[in-house]
Amino acid sequence: MKVYALAVVLAPPQKTCTILSSASDLSSFSFYQRGSVGEFLTFFSKTISERTPQGERQSVQENNYTAHVYNRGGAEQLAAVIITDQEYPVRPAFSLLTKMLDDFTTKIPQTSFSNPTAINFPEINTYLQKYQDPRQADAIMRVQQELDETKIVLHKTIESVLERGEKLNDLVDRSNALSAQSKMFYKTAKKQNSCCVIM
Amino acid sequence: MPVQDRTNEFRACVESIRNRSSLPSRGAEAKQRLLQSQGKDGGNKSDFTRMASAIAKDISSTTIKLGKLGQLAKRKTLFDDRPVEISELTYIIKQDIAGLNKQIASLQAYVKQRSTQGGTKSAEAKLVDEHNHNVVMLLQSKLADTSMTFKDVLEIRTQNMKESKDRTEQFMHSTAAAASQAPSSSLLFGNTQRQDPMGDGSLLAPRFDPKGKSRASTPSNGDILALDLGSAEEGTAAQNGGAFMQMELVEQQDTYIQSRSTAIESIESTIAELGQIFTQLAQMVAEQRETVQRIDADTVDIASNVSGAQRELLKYYASISSNRWLMLKVFGVLIVFFLIFILVS
Repeated sequence: MKVYALAVVLAPPQKTCTILSSASDLSSFSFYQRGSVGEFLTFFSKTISERTPQGERQSVQENNYTAHVYNRGGAEQLAAVIITDQEYPVRPAFSLLTKMLDDFTTKIPQTSFSNPTAINFPEINTYLQKYQDPRQADAIMRVQQELDETKIVLHKTIESVLERGEKLNDLVDRSNALSAQSKMFYKTAKKQNSCCVIM
Repeated sequence: MPVQDRTNEFRACVESIRNRSSLPSRGAEAKQRLLQSQGKDGGNKSDFTRMASAIAKDISSTTIKLGKLGQLAKRKTLFDDRPVEISELTYIIKQDIAGLNKQIASLQAYVKQRSTQGGTKSAEAKLVDEHNHNVVMLLQSKLADTSMTFKDVLEIRTQNMKESKDRTEQFMHSTAAAASQAPSSSLLFGNTQRQDPMGDGSLLAPRFDPKGKSRASTPSNGDILALDLGSAEEGTAAQNGGAFMQMELVEQQDTYIQSRSTAIESIESTIAELGQIFTQLAQMVAEQRETVQRIDADTVDIASNVSGAQRELLKYYASISSNRWLMLKVFGVLIVFFLIFILVS
């Protein structure tokens, strides 16, 4: 479950797109393949953002890469692309794209869109690293996971409580027996006193 | 969104209709003239009644439309479903309700203004004010009932849509069919639907028929009037309207949004399960409390018994050790008997 690349693209409708900021993680490829794979990913992102109408989300599969693109349009005409392998869950991918776009628009003013090389958006790298494990990064999945763990803990707790119940039953029986015995003990002791008064 | 006082328009309408059909309105005219001759500012009073009767007319027409929508929504056929009609009717009814709400708000403001304007508070004026207040409250309650019915009809509609979608899937295996998402029985959806669809606070109590003549007009008139008010904004109802519209539009966007909502629903059900587990846990521990109390009581008994027995034994020991002389005598007698027996045998 890996994320290969993330990119924020300026996507004016019907025109060519320019990549404003991108980050990629090509560590799974051999050293000599990385160049070509990187170029392929850039080309893939640009093509896909050009072909997605504004305000829509799309997922495209190509060999064993899956790209999810969200063209937000709006005033800034931005789109975000994420390229992953096929196992990566779809919904957190789109959540990540939305989050990234919001972050980008708050940090980078629209005037610097015309100068892509000057844009400094280091958070894209942190996002890439963080979302390699979507279960921890995506809020909804993390909450679900924690809830599942809590449920397991609670199941164990209930089992322990059942055991406790059994032990308590056992204790009750024993204490009943002990109480009866101590009563007999008391009676016998009392009888001894009353029987041998003459001596 | 300024409140528009359209009583002049309404009066013009009434005049034009009255001029068109002079015969049946003579009775109404007589009634109005009668009312106008009563009271201090009779003109304003019949104004109020006119506004109130207009509102009541609209409410009745909206109720009728709602009935039609309810009938449409109850249909359970797979193929003859008419989503366009239903959505149009829903939209119209929604706007009607919003418009009615505004009208009632303006009527209420008017009543307040009149009650502060009135100089000398005669008993009659007070009664009139009370009457006006009652009328406004009752109109509001009728509107509230209508909107509740509207909400119920929409719920029925979404349930039927869900059922029909299931049946469609069964017969045609097309999972990518309409993106009709029925609101599940989850608490989240239940809460958002329980809110007042207007976002307004106008939900009040009892039931009343304001004036006989408010029922005099035909529903078709009400229809025309209601459609003219279509310029009323639907802003307040947009929140729920969006959710209802969503289930009837097929968009690809829905996939993402649906999956999000499914995920959140599953989280919510997990939390509910957790709540149940906690309750069970608490119940089990409470049951065990009784057992623990029994053990407690038993232990106390044991302690007292054992201490009592120890007391007895101590007493016995004390008596034994203090009876030395008697003991010596007793033993002496025993030894004598013993010796006698040995000598005899």
